[in-house]
Amino acid sequence: MKIVVAEDEFLIADLLVVCLEEAGYEVHDAPHGAGALTLVRSLEPDLVITDFMMPLMTGLELAEAMKADTALQGIPIILVSGAQGGIARSRTDLFDLVFDKPYAMDRLLTAVADLGREKGQR
Amino acid sequence: MTQTLPRFSTGIPGLDTVFGGGFVEGASYIVQGQPGAGKTILGNQIAFATAAAGKKVLYVTLLAETHDRLFQSLSTLSFFEKDRLGSNIVYVSVFQTLAKEGLGAVVDLLRKETKRQNASLIVFDGLLNARDRAETDLDVKTFVAEVQSQAAFVGCTVLFLTSAGIHDDSPEHTMVDGVLELHDELVGVRTVRRLRARKSRGSSALGGYHQYEIGNNGISVFPRIEAAFHTPSATDNPDPKPLRSGIEGFDEITGGGLPQGSITLLIGPSGCGKTSFGLNFLSASSREEPGLHFGFYESPERLLLKANALGLDLKGSVERKEVDILWQPLTENLIDKMAHRLLDAVSARGVKRLFIDSLGGFERAAVHPPRLVEFFAALTNELRAMGVTAVGTWELRDLFASGVAAPGPEISSLLDNLIMMRQVEIRSEYRRVLSVLKIRDQSFQAAPQEVYIDGHGLAIRGQFEQATGISTGLAKPLEA
Repeated sequence: MKIVVAEDEFLIADLLVVCLEEAGYEVHDAPHGAGALTLVRSLEPDLVITDFMMPLMTGLELAEAMKADTALQGIPIILVSGAQGGIARSRTDLFDLVFDKPYAMDRLLTAVADLGREKGQR
Repeated sequence: MTQTLPRFSTGIPGLDTVFGGGFVEGASYIVQGQPGAGKTILGNQIAFATAAAGKKVLYVTLLAETHDRLFQSLSTLSFFEKDRLGSNIVYVSVFQTLAKEGLGAVVDLLRKETKRQNASLIVFDGLLNARDRAETDLDVKTFVAEVQSQAAFVGCTVLFLTSAGIHDDSPEHTMVDGVLELHDELVGVRTVRRLRARKSRGSSALGGYHQYEIGNNGISVFPRIEAAFHTPSATDNPDPKPLRSGIEGFDEITGGGLPQGSITLLIGPSGCGKTSFGLNFLSASSREEPGLHFGFYESPERLLLKANALGLDLKGSVERKEVDILWQPLTENLIDKMAHRLLDAVSARGVKRLFIDSLGGFERAAVHPPRLVEFFAALTNELRAMGVTAVGTWELRDLFASGVAAPGPEISSLLDNLIMMRQVEIRSEYRRVLSVLKIRDQSFQAAPQEVYIDGHGLAIRGQFEQATGISTGLAKPLEA
């Protein structure tokens, strides 16, 4: 399973990438939404995990751009956010799951595995 | 013709005053200081004040610390409003962009992001980290120059926060419009926080050190009194009519009381009746002539008890809001904070009668005692200009002594009136005496007066008996 991670904060991005890789996923990351969108277009991943507040393009804008693109609108998106969880939860059309920072990595990994199984069944 | 540049209010109490009215809009500033000096709090406090004013802020970090941890520590401060995150204030990290693509990419990203967010303020936290990545000093200079010129182009103000270590002659300093230094130093056993506007282009800043503190509301700056009130804020309009003192018998020997808008120094050792004098003076307060007790010793509750024992209804005056009591415990104090507190309280209520018990409380708080003369000069000038008649006490060290150690001659000469009180031993008895040594522009009886404290406050009922050595406290009756 291929995952694109969008996160500007180095420590969080680094930890997330390492944990996902240890769990056996193929992970690509970008320090902002714009970079992530480029990756999504070229890699067509199975899942996108994105932060909200990022330079150049926010997680919300990234999700909107993906949903507007027929080739990408089927890719599930998990939002991981500090303060904007509320805004994101009101947009169930954009995000499959919303995690508030700080979150337990185990819970995130379980959610990723669940989404992977669902996708496999589809 | 000179003109004033549009200002950008920092929203930090006192800081705009230090910068001569605030930052200059569209200008760039370096804020530097050791870790713990409060740079990040300062940057965020300005950011939230700007957002509260309806403007957009871009907070850019180059730190390893996560924004989450930053928000956690900021959440203990009153200015932090979580709801503004992501809307008025956007926090972005460019750590990865810098690490992977270099300084040029960061400049590019900041330009796009400033435009995208329509930001009025960029706070760039971690300039030192940018230096680490630069190959040469020139790179940082170019970086700072590019960031500030592209921000200035859209009228955006920039703050670069950085740990100490940038020297006067460093390229960054020559580039930016202003430099604010935060210091956190040990003085004796205490720490003192002081800041300094090291450079301020386009605005005349108040030079030198200014004390600041970090509390629940964030940073508060207390501009040095003698700099902030270099000249009084209002024109002095002396009123030649004396103000009645509230002390029985005193107005008769001083030509009607204390000159209005004058400063009186009341000196004497402990127990001689100085505080009682002040309570009498304040008990003459009214709605038209509000009084203020600014004391370092007794708590308000104890003062009310003391006044009651003297036979004065201070409690009633306080309840009728004719008198206010501000207690400043004689512990670790900031001298300028206290002076600002005093002046604010005076102007808030239009105080006309002020009793300061004692001026020594300010002296104790002075980290740099040589400035006391200028400090008291500015403070007393401001009080006079506000039409305040003030009485300040000064404690004499020895209960009985031949020498009388008043505050230094420079300080005594700043005061208009001088009164001495003490206990006097005569014929195996202790009695209290009050001597008027100087009253500005009024004739007075210079002879020592006997003081009575007998149920109606403090009173003077005639001259002390003829004796020698009264001023030393050890008097000898004149031989018949």
